[in-house]
Amino acid sequence: MRIKQKQWPGKWIGFCLVLALNLIGTCAFGQVKISGKVNAPSGAAAESVTVMVKGIKSGAITDNAGNYSLTAALKEGAYSLIFEGVGFKKKEVALTVGSAKSYNVDVTLTEEVSKLDEVVVTGTSQGTTRRQLGSYVSSVKGEELTKGGSGNVLAALQGKTAGAQITQNNGDPAGGISVRLRGISTISSSSEPLYIVDGVIVNNSTNRVTNTQSGYDGQNFVGSVGQNRLVDINPADIERVEVLNGAAAAAIYGSRANAGVVQIFTKKGKSGAPVVAFSTSYMNSSLRKKIGVNQSLTKFGGPTDGAGAQTQDILTPALTNTTNVTRYDYQDYIFRNASGTDNNVSVSGGTDKTKYYVSGSYFYNQGIVKNTDFQRYSFRANIEQTFNKWISANIGLNYINSTANEKPDGNSFFSPMNSTTIIANFHDIQKRDALGNILAVGERGRVNPVSVIEDIKQKQMVSRVISNFGLKLRPIKNLTIDYTMGIDNYAQNGTTYIPPFAYNASTAFWGGGLTLDPTLNGYASNANNNFFAINHDLNATYNATITKDLASTTQVGFSQQYEKGIYSLLQGRGLAPFVQTVNGASTVLPGNDQRSEISVSGAFIQQNFKFRNQLFVTGALRVDGSSVFGENQRNQTYGKLSGSYVISGTDYWSKLGISKWMNLFKVRAAYGESGNLTGIGAYDRFNTYTSTSYVGRTSLGSSSGLANPNVGPERQSEFEFGTDMGFLDNRISLSVNVYNKKVNNLLITRQIAPTNGFSTLLDNFGSLENKGFEVMLTAMPISKKDFSWTITGIYNQNRNKAINIGQALTLLSTNAGAPVSILEGQPIGVFYGTFFAVDASGNTVKDAAGLLQIEKGTQNSPLSYTTQRAANGLPTGTTLRKIIGNPNPTYTTTLTNEFTYKKMSLRIQIDAVKGLDVFNADFRTRQGVGSGLIAEQEQRGQLPRGYINNIYAIEQWRVEDGSFTKLRELAFSYNFGKIKGFSDLTFNLSGRNLISWDTYRGYDPEVNSGGQSTILRGIDFGSVPIPKTFSVGLQAKF
Amino acid sequence: MKNIFKHSLLLMGTASVMLVSTGCKKNYTNPNAATSDQVFSSATGLTGVAVSLQRTYALGRAGSLYNIIAANGFTTGELILLNAGNTAEYQLSVGGGTVDGTNSILANIWANANKIEYDANNVIDGASKLNDKNYASGLIGYASLYKALALGSLAMYWEKVPAAVGANATFVDRKEGFVRAIATIDAALAAISANAISAAFTANVPAGNDIVNSLQALKARYALFAGNNALALTAANAVDLTKRSTMNYDAVSLNPIFETATSTNNVFQPVDSTFGLPVGLAPVATDRRIPFYTSINPTIAPRFRIAGFGAASATAFPVYLPGEITLIKAEVYARNNDLANALTELNKVVTKTAASDPFGVGAGLPALTGTFTQAQLLDQIYSNRCTELFMSGLKLEDMRRFGRATTERKRNLFPYPFRERDNNKNTPADPTF
Repeated sequence: MRIKQKQWPGKWIGFCLVLALNLIGTCAFGQVKISGKVNAPSGAAAESVTVMVKGIKSGAITDNAGNYSLTAALKEGAYSLIFEGVGFKKKEVALTVGSAKSYNVDVTLTEEVSKLDEVVVTGTSQGTTRRQLGSYVSSVKGEELTKGGSGNVLAALQGKTAGAQITQNNGDPAGGISVRLRGISTISSSSEPLYIVDGVIVNNSTNRVTNTQSGYDGQNFVGSVGQNRLVDINPADIERVEVLNGAAAAAIYGSRANAGVVQIFTKKGKSGAPVVAFSTSYMNSSLRKKIGVNQSLTKFGGPTDGAGAQTQDILTPALTNTTNVTRYDYQDYIFRNASGTDNNVSVSGGTDKTKYYVSGSYFYNQGIVKNTDFQRYSFRANIEQTFNKWISANIGLNYINSTANEKPDGNSFFSPMNSTTIIANFHDIQKRDALGNILAVGERGRVNPVSVIEDIKQKQMVSRVISNFGLKLRPIKNLTIDYTMGIDNYAQNGTTYIPPFAYNASTAFWGGGLTLDPTLNGYASNANNNFFAINHDLNATYNATITKDLASTTQVGFSQQYEKGIYSLLQGRGLAPFVQTVNGASTVLPGNDQRSEISVSGAFIQQNFKFRNQLFVTGALRVDGSSVFGENQRNQTYGKLSGSYVISGTDYWSKLGISKWMNLFKVRAAYGESGNLTGIGAYDRFNTYTSTSYVGRTSLGSSSGLANPNVGPERQSEFEFGTDMGFLDNRISLSVNVYNKKVNNLLITRQIAPTNGFSTLLDNFGSLENKGFEVMLTAMPISKKDFSWTITGIYNQNRNKAINIGQALTLLSTNAGAPVSILEGQPIGVFYGTFFAVDASGNTVKDAAGLLQIEKGTQNSPLSYTTQRAANGLPTGTTLRKIIGNPNPTYTTTLTNEFTYKKMSLRIQIDAVKGLDVFNADFRTRQGVGSGLIAEQEQRGQLPRGYINNIYAIEQWRVEDGSFTKLRELAFSYNFGKIKGFSDLTFNLSGRNLISWDTYRGYDPEVNSGGQSTILRGIDFGSVPIPKTFSVGLQAKF
Repeated sequence: MKNIFKHSLLLMGTASVMLVSTGCKKNYTNPNAATSDQVFSSATGLTGVAVSLQRTYALGRAGSLYNIIAANGFTTGELILLNAGNTAEYQLSVGGGTVDGTNSILANIWANANKIEYDANNVIDGASKLNDKNYASGLIGYASLYKALALGSLAMYWEKVPAAVGANATFVDRKEGFVRAIATIDAALAAISANAISAAFTANVPAGNDIVNSLQALKARYALFAGNNALALTAANAVDLTKRSTMNYDAVSLNPIFETATSTNNVFQPVDSTFGLPVGLAPVATDRRIPFYTSINPTIAPRFRIAGFGAASATAFPVYLPGEITLIKAEVYARNNDLANALTELNKVVTKTAASDPFGVGAGLPALTGTFTQAQLLDQIYSNRCTELFMSGLKLEDMRRFGRATTERKRNLFPYPFRERDNNKNTPADPTF
């Protein structure tokens, strides 16, 4: 069979979208020119719409003005023109070609709700339509990310993609954000998905170049705090984001895709006159909710400051005398009304052969905590060049420079939040001595919040280049070879300056103690992290038509990835006055110099068969090897099999009555495997001795953990099935995904008996399971020319469980005091701790004084206990523990309503996260130090004296329902269209995180002081609350 | 169709070439740390590991020393808690069933002791293969010193102790732990007497450790605890009481008591000038050891503050005090009913002045005169031990040995850490008190 000028079945055309552009003008005779303009339903120009002549391989893509022009060799006769574009319904227009040589065809497309024929690239190298996919891939358009007033692409993704739980862990202007696709996929490493921007694997790690103090988190597990590096990506550059939730879809990414894949495509130039796009906006952020503070006029015990000062009176129940005090609200001091701007300008355009998109952006946003801010400069150039009909190349360059003025992380007691949480609200923190020095707060060496806001300086700077180069070859018909190289290189620098305190600040907080010890007072550090990564991907795709109804696509690919990291830290304490660098330190503290290298390489083969446009089957096999694992674990093979059947596309369906109102019915199923070949650090499998300086000598300490040198990667297998349905001409569409993913050979740093000489062992144990489903429902109750109303609902439910981990209980010691544990048969990260004693009827047990009691008795096993009561009816025996909370939500859901009326549009997005618990460490601290409302009740005599002290050790007291419903986004825009020198002008007004409906006793249940940690979730310990933000802006095109 | 097959074959061929060509560089050596094979094959590597034993024992809030002083101090009433937010310290300050297997102070003592034993064994093994026997004896002596302290830290607080470090460790009576510590010391002393410790070795480890005197002193201490009074006396007599043996600190590696408690005033402070002793046994007001171990803050609560060996950031902590050795002698004589010698030794401590003690610990009191019964002498010896050795971690052992009423302490012996219990089925049952 010869593959040449044959009549292609119409259903093939969808697949050829990407190829189309490059095939223009391959024919030599009977040239006919067809041109025209394509409009969106709103009347605006529809760009990037593919126009094809049905049955002929000629096509064109509309430029930024919606114009297209194509030339084809056509005999006289009847033809169909097919118009296809992302977000639009495919449209066929009849065209009769006569003797004329040129034709004008203008069309207005209608919006596609089901998105079934939308092109998705992720999971294949050449792109495919959603119709063919056996697994769910969601796609979010760039403009949906920039409307909501967030400068962070991940924050903007919240509630816009099914199966994802996206949490902003911290309200700082560059606060970290974690993304969980279908739950936690590992225990010992990051559960963040793999991020790919234009083919470059971009690093999203959280590196601690600030908060470097060794003592700041003690020996405890603090998590992964601070900025994560996806903050560098400018949302305005994004064309669209594709999210692959699970292994079934991600198998082609093999070794690194355990936690899913998020692929970002940036904007590309389009042929036509240069278009200048400009957008500017002003943002205003403020604290959404203040918490109540103690207003009691007295405290127990002696004075608040100076001689005889006696703080934490609440926790000394023996004190019953009282002292009158003045109460303050430090929230008024540390928080502010913060401003920010986001400015973007881009120029795009090009010719048939050369296309470009260049942009520049300046983003500046203040934090709601005084003296914190984040600014980001970003420049991008995307250039595409077609050399001839079989070679084209593209290059993308992105330079980012960001600076963040930070304050110490909340996990320390010299952070803005925790310096106020750890003191009672009866100190006049603004009081100064004759020299203008801030004074001590109480007698315990606490840091005065004024020192934190005014004096402590912490700065983080990043300089980053992300560049990609691609080459596409079509050496023979139906064969495409593409090569992509990506480089991600950044230098991250962090500096910390804690000036010597003029008052008694604890040495644990880098003060000089009571004596203002000059060798200890003050701290300075300078840390650098240099990261370099390069990836090469070479893929070949071959399309073949086997019979009229059966077509095949074969792909092979090879990829090679290399990463290098160098981290260094200089630090010292006991600072000379005014010197902010480590040079000023009289005591140079041990530095740090860490280097690592890893490489991963792999190859895959993928075969796809299509039967008509109804049945699609894809199988793939990938082999990968990583340097981080033992030699005999190096090469891992991952398989994938998926299929989809578009029942509504069959002849049989069209004969059924149901097809009148149900126009789409597709079923799909997929199985896939993936791994985490970067799941442990570069050298974690080696058992090593680490050197430290100790009293002027070298100490070589063995680590507390032992590693199995033959440790292997985790393997995930996922089965997913689902359906896509469209009703009433796609006015209503429904997608349902059900999945079961299991991670085997779980990498666990498991606790072992310390009598082994080691306390932990890193090895492959047991497995982890995530089961759940996702439902997406979109409906257009009204779709008129001037008025439309679209409702989108997303519901996600995931159940996570550790299985056969070989250990009943692993209880982690965390910085926040949260009793985070990994329990056999339970979700990862549940809170396991002490709880209130209750009687048979469920009422709390109180002693004669009315004090609540901790439950005691005999602990039979981690999840079973027998309570015990003494003769006086009070608990006796050993302290008991049980699961007291689960930070994993039972479900997350989003409801979005979008209205358009003429030139106005309104988008309302409500997110709800339900059924999760938060460990509110700060709540207890506020009561213990006496600034909280329970402390007020005790001081006012409304609660018995000693009430708080008696329940202070009951961990259940700190656990509370973290469910919330938030008005996440409210975006109004007015499109002026073409007006006075602008080809397009839009006015935006939006609000973000404006209202939260919850019963939480802290600021916001949607924070996590464990940062981007996989296991530490739902912990509130000094985290800056997420602000409410208003933004007003203009978008213009010239 | 032919072409399809041809092209498919070509692709398959390319694919297989790619699959076999994945052998890019995969073996990177770790530049950040040394492997165990590397460290145990050289004298400098062994020395580094030996230094880490002292570091594990002596440094930081996680180190054994801080935790021993805290656990013992709260349980025996030497210390008061300043902030109930310190969960582990809080549990110990309440005592009884409130102290459980999650307690991080106990877990640290337990884990550090096993870690020290594990690596001390590696150092002692490695040292025996060195050609420089004088350097080797230094390594053996120094590693054995911290191994003995580690074994002692387990035997003082737990009813049963691991028979040896290793997988699925079995347990033996705690007295066996002292016997093992003594055996370790004897082996080290034998190695040192065969080949004296070289100056080269001494220069390579932190200053302050007087290895031989420390080994003798610990031998005397553990022999006494094990009930081997004769051995205790012999060893005590072998200690040179004019010498100091200390764990030193500097501005980088801070004294752990100062770092965690003294400087923060947020964890613990001494109870008061009674040192937690009942009436009759508490030091008299003129006892100069009160101002040695405590300082007074007249304005800010609490009034009594840590001084002594937690006074400042670089205050060296004694491995043993000469006063302890004298009191060991006194106790052995008293228990042997040699009351005259017992009183003589006891009076050496009672009358000792700060100037005549290498560490400046001196009661400076008039000598006890008159006749004492054995029980009365033992009471006085107990009282002096508790005062002379305040905040040293030894009081719980003393309380049991001197048969003090259990009401005077908050626990007799500690529960085993959950980390051990959950992962080693040989873990014994917890004591009820």
